[in-house]
Parts: sequence; C-alpha cells; structure tokens
Amino acid sequence: MTAEIGQAAIYLSVLSCLWAIGFLSFGLWIRNARAIQSGRNAVIATFILISIATGALIYGFVTDDFSMKYVVEVSSAAQPLLYKITALWGRMSGSLLLWLWLLTLVGAIVVWQNSQRIKQARDTLSDYSLIPIAIVQLFFTILVTGLIEGVYNPLARFPGGQVAADGQGMNPLLQTPLMAIHPPTLYLGWISLTVPFAFAVGALASGRIGSGWILRSRRWMLFSWIILTIGITLGGNWAYKELGWGGYWAWDPVENASFMPWLLGTAYLHSVMIQEKRNMLKLWNILLITLAFQFTLLGTFITRSGVITSVHAFAQSDIGGYFLSFIFASTAGVIGLIIYRWNRLKSANRLESLLSRESAFVLNNWLLVGLTLIILWGTLWPIISEAINGEKSSVPEAFFNQVVIIPGILLLFLTGAGPIISWKKITPNNFRRMFLLPLVIGLVGGALVWGFLALIGYTFPLYSVLCSFAAVFVLAAIFAEFYRGARLRSKRQETSLLNGLNLLIQRNKRRYGGYIIHIGIVILYIGIMGSKGYFLLESKSMTLGESMEVGKYKLTMIDAFEKEYGNYLRSGVVFDVEKNGKRIGTMEPALHDYYKSKPDEEPTKEPAIRHFIMNDLYLAVANVPHNVKTGGVVNVQGFYNPLIGVVWIGVAVMVLGGIVAIAEKSERSRDA
Amino acid sequence: MGDTQVQKQRKLKVIAASVILLGGMALLVIVGIKRTSIRHFTPDSLVADGNSVNNQQVQVDGLIAEGSSQWDAADFKLTFAIRDRETTATVNVIYENQLKPDNFKDGGSVFVEGKYHATQNLIVATKLMTKCASKYEGAESATPTDKTSYISE
Repeated sequence: MTAEIGQAAIYLSVLSCLWAIGFLSFGLWIRNARAIQSGRNAVIATFILISIATGALIYGFVTDDFSMKYVVEVSSAAQPLLYKITALWGRMSGSLLLWLWLLTLVGAIVVWQNSQRIKQARDTLSDYSLIPIAIVQLFFTILVTGLIEGVYNPLARFPGGQVAADGQGMNPLLQTPLMAIHPPTLYLGWISLTVPFAFAVGALASGRIGSGWILRSRRWMLFSWIILTIGITLGGNWAYKELGWGGYWAWDPVENASFMPWLLGTAYLHSVMIQEKRNMLKLWNILLITLAFQFTLLGTFITRSGVITSVHAFAQSDIGGYFLSFIFASTAGVIGLIIYRWNRLKSANRLESLLSRESAFVLNNWLLVGLTLIILWGTLWPIISEAINGEKSSVPEAFFNQVVIIPGILLLFLTGAGPIISWKKITPNNFRRMFLLPLVIGLVGGALVWGFLALIGYTFPLYSVLCSFAAVFVLAAIFAEFYRGARLRSKRQETSLLNGLNLLIQRNKRRYGGYIIHIGIVILYIGIMGSKGYFLLESKSMTLGESMEVGKYKLTMIDAFEKEYGNYLRSGVVFDVEKNGKRIGTMEPALHDYYKSKPDEEPTKEPAIRHFIMNDLYLAVANVPHNVKTGGVVNVQGFYNPLIGVVWIGVAVMVLGGIVAIAEKSERSRDA
Repeated sequence: MGDTQVQKQRKLKVIAASVILLGGMALLVIVGIKRTSIRHFTPDSLVADGNSVNNQQVQVDGLIAEGSSQWDAADFKLTFAIRDRETTATVNVIYENQLKPDNFKDGGSVFVEGKYHATQNLIVATKLMTKCASKYEGAESATPTDKTSYISE
C-alpha cells in the first residue's frame, strides 16, 4: 500500500506545483493577499507530499519490498540498514526523488523565512521568488512521475504482481560512509543555489532590482557554497581512499560538473559586493547567478545523457534531453525578463580605474567565469570536436592541468591583492601602506621556499615559483589586514590584541570570514602544488620477503591474510614500513570480495594509507593470490603523496571561514 | 570636452584589458587542445582506420571481450581485447605496471587510452577506466533483468 500512497503523493504534487505557480502569479498580478497565501500554502503542500513519497520509498527499502523495481535494483536483504537507506540515491530515479525532496524542503524554508519577516516589513520579493522555485519543482516532479519516457517512477512495482526473491544490491564501492553522504551533499549544494537564482528572477519580475534580492539570498548562496565545497571534497576524498589510484582529482566530467557551479558561485559571491557598494554590475549579477543555476542542471545533462565518456557515465538515457530543454526554456525566460526590465538594469557607476578594488573584483569574475568556460570546453570537447570536423576527440587530464595554471595563479594573487587594494583607484599611499610589505615578504618567502626545495633536490618549474611567491604574498597581506584591524580595536577598547581580533571578526563576520576563506585557499593551493606536482609512484611484482622503496620509505612484504567479514572476504598482505632505516609500523593493503552478493564482480581495492605530517604513504595491491605464502606473486603500487593532508586542511579552513561569514545575519551591506 | 575625453580613454583601456584577457584565455584553450587532444575510436573504427593513427595516442571505448583478459602477475601486466559494442571487431590491449581498475569484468564497459600500433592491432595503454556503477546509471538498465529470479504472487 505504501508504494501506492507514495505514487499518489507524487501525482498530487504535480497539482500543488501548478497551484503554487498559478495562485502566486495571479495573486501578485491582482494584488490579492489571499491568493498569494494560497500559493504559499501550496509550496508547503508540495513539501509534505514529496516527503510522503520519499518516506514511502525508504519504507520499501527498510522492509525489503522486492515487488518494487527500484528497491530490487539497488538494495538486497543482506545489505546493512544504513546502506538500505542510502540506496535511495543509488540510481537515477531515486536520486531525482531525493533532489526533488530537498528542493521542496528549500521551498518550504523560503516560505517560512518570509512568514518570519512579514511581521517587520511586508514585501512581495519572496513570493515572486517562489514562482521560479515552484517551476523547477514541477520539472522534477514530472520527471519522477514516470509518465515520460526514459525515467521510471522510483515507487513503481513490477508489472503483473511479480516479486523478486532478493534485490541485486548496491555496488560495494558505494557502500562506504563517505559515499553515503557525498551525493546528497552535492545535491543540497546545487539545490540551495536555486534560491539566489529564484530571488534574481523574483527581482526581475517585481522590478525591484536594487541589492535587496542579493542581501535576502546572501546566506543561501553562502550555504550553497559551503555545502558544495564540502561535497566536492568528499568526492575527492572518497576517490582517494577507495579507488586505489592514489589521487583525488582527475578532471573527470562528473567532477567538472560539480566544480563548475562552484566556480560560478564563487564569482557571484564576489561580484554582488560591487553591486552593494558601488551599484554596478546589476545585469552581470543576474546573468551570473542564472548561469550558475543552469550549470547545476547542465551537470546532470553531462553525466546522464551519455554524450560524454566518463568513469561515472556510459549508459545513455533520454533524461539529458529533458534537462537540456529545461535549461534552454528557463534561460529564455530569464532573458525575456531582462529585456522587459532593461531600463532598470543600467549601472549607476562606471569603472574609474583598472587598478582599483572594483577592477580586482571584475578581473576575479572574468578569471572564474573564464576558467568555467575553459573547463566546459574541455569537458564537451568530444561533442565539439565531432561537430567541427567529424572526428571525435577528447582531452586528457593533462589539458586541464595545463590550462588552469595561469588563471589559477592570477586568482591566487588576487585573493591577497583584492582585499587590500583601495576602491575607485589605487593611490601611491595605498600601495605603499598595504602592498609594499606583503610584496617584499612574498618575494623573500618565495625565494626561500625555492632555495630550500632546490637544495634538497627537487625540480622547480616556473609556475611553482610564482605559486609560492603568490602564496606568501597573500598570507602576508591578509595577516596584515587582521593585525591592523585587531590592533585598532584593541587600542580603542583598551583590551588585548587577541580580544581585539575577536571583536574585529564579530563586528564584521562577512568580511573577515571571507579573509579566512582566502587563507584556506592559499593552504589548498600549497597542498595541490605538492600533491599534484611532486608525487612519486613505484610499481613492483613482489613475493614474500621482498622489499620495495617509495621515496624515503622501505616496504617489506612480511605476511598475507584472508579474513571473512559480514558480506565480504578481505584478503591482503602485510608490509613492514621503514623510514630512513627505522621501523615505523605495518600497512595492510587488501582486496574486498563481495562474492556472496556479487558473485560475478571482481574484488574491489582497499588501499592502505598512512598519514604523516608532510606526506601520505599509499599502498594498493592488484591481486592477492591464495598462494602468497608459498611464493605467489603480488602486484603492488606505492605512492608517496607530499602535502596531500594540506589539501584537506585547506578545505577545512575554507569551510570554517564560510561558517563565520554565514553567521552574519544582518541584511545590510557592511563590507568596507 | 575634457571629461568625455577621459571617459573615452577609460573605455578604451577597459576594452583593451578585456581583449587581452579573452584572447589569452582563448589562446590557452587552443594551444592546450592542440597539444593534448586525443582522437576517439570505437574498436570497429580503429581497425578500419588504424593506419592513419599508427604510433599515435588514441582513446577507445568498448567492451571487455569475454575470456580475453589475462593477469600476468610475474610481469605486472594485464592483457585483454576490447570488443566493439556493435560489430565483432576487437583491438588488443596491454596495460603494464598499473593496477586493474575496480569493476573490471568480462563484458563490462571499458575505456582505454594509449599508443596504437597498427601492425599488431595493439594499444599500449596508459589509462584504463571501467564503468563506475554509481548513481548515474541509465534508465534502460532499470528493466527487470533476470526473469528467472522472479516468482509470481
């Protein structure tokens, strides 16, 4: 019964979406408060209905209802409870339902937020914004009804009352806690980006194109940014720990699809400040957030249409076409509104100098959008090349690694220069006071890093030199900003410097949260430079007792084991690890064979990772024959990954900065 | 008059800066693509067109031919044949000193990148990817697959 109730709820939510769109539009048109209220209620109703549908599917998983098609595909009786629930997003239909559910949750929160503020100040911006949100909801609801070709209803049962004996089970690679939370995190990040987009559309529709819509959706954008940052990193971390190739980022189309909205969101977070402070870039901001939103949908097109070869996506489905149509239709709608409001989108001010904070922000935007387009071009190159000359080509990782370096280093430099350059126009005084010291420290620091690495025998290409220089410069510039502000506060309030720092951040969380993010970016760059530029890889066929060397580590294979766990067999080898001649412990790279639930699957690699302060040691095995103890050969790969831990630390600092910035509740612009 | 002159100059500067930036980015992409772009084939098209890409980097997308894959542990070497999805054409693949990706199994989707030797119809692979059976699987895999496993109510 529950599945049928869930299905009915999905059909009903088509109506509630239409109701919301209709009554909100009509109510705003004739200024009828009751119609508007009815529209808001419909948005809440959609949330309740989709919650019921999602609950019904989870119920199907928990009770092993193998008459349901989707349950059979991604779950099995033996699957642990946690993974029965995460099976909800194990495949496309369920992922779409989860996506829709989060979107209806977001819609309900927007209604609630508005009800909180109506008491203070009545305005219709939120109500206008609910219309685009309901339209996007309608799109996803129609997809999960199963009424259109290519997608089936996740709550559908098999025809003719068939029941499967057991489910096929979820892929073991996905049965890890990281993979359990990675997809919903990314979805949440993408979906919350719908709100600032909806507010932009609402601003256009209502004609109130000041910075009100930006300030009202500011915390949503930051939330989206924080969650996307976490989601992308979780994916990288999962790949690193589970896939056994020693890396965390490979410019795979799916990775790119998650990264591009992040880049655009980052650009948007910067450019809105110009609109608030200087009343410029109104049109640009609307275009930018529209683009960012469309890229969250484009990601789905890229990964599910089958046009792009990726580790994630081979299977073709019609769903890509629906997404592409929706992208075109909604973009056309926004462009129509822009033309309608053209006169109100003119900037009040112009750029006064190419060397000013405004220009720094604009340059930041151009670089971020440029990077996005470059990555898009590379990702879609298989389609583009075929269209140009009929020969399908694609670009490897090396393409992306090469093209991002120059814009990347310029952006890094801007994270330091942007916050210290003066508005309108740089003055000699501003340059002397703010730039001179950080530049000198940057030069000296960069040279020191260079000298040190050269001394211990590392090659040091030009981009590493520039990157180290920029990194030290940015840190100096930002710490100087903190120091200056903290000293001023501590003097004024007659308190300690540390207290002053605390006061400073409390008073302007948005600005200093942003600076903390910038520090995180520098740390991230250092980690990327080390781990991408200086890793070592050794491969060897080994028998028991043999040794191999990976960087400064010596690894001796001393034992092998086979151990039975719940639903898999773990077989691996034991390595004795020595560093500079000193024994520091053992490592056990292994394979997991889910032979019971997945008899025809190959075992999956379970690499062993040791974290040190400056590097990781990473071991993976290709095979563990039963006869290792009697001379069987094991194929081993060892990675020496410098500074990889710094990557995760950098992201953590970025997230921390984001949390500081989002704590600022005020809707007034305070950035100085 | 002086004011508009200044404004004009400013506008010119902005345009010049934009052109330099855009041009730079375009150049990056064009050079990057020229240097790294790799032609994509199916096993069928590679066998037919092989001589034109002899000793060049290629990418091939197909299936792991049933029973073809062999793991030579002593030499740390994987050999297999990649079969076309539609025809019977196959191309041999050698993959050395690298771990086998997870999900590597007979009949599974596979993606190979490496140097093609036309005379031996062989790719010396530098990169090997299998289909990741993740959330992105297509809808057509959603039909009841194994009829025998269903019982009637």
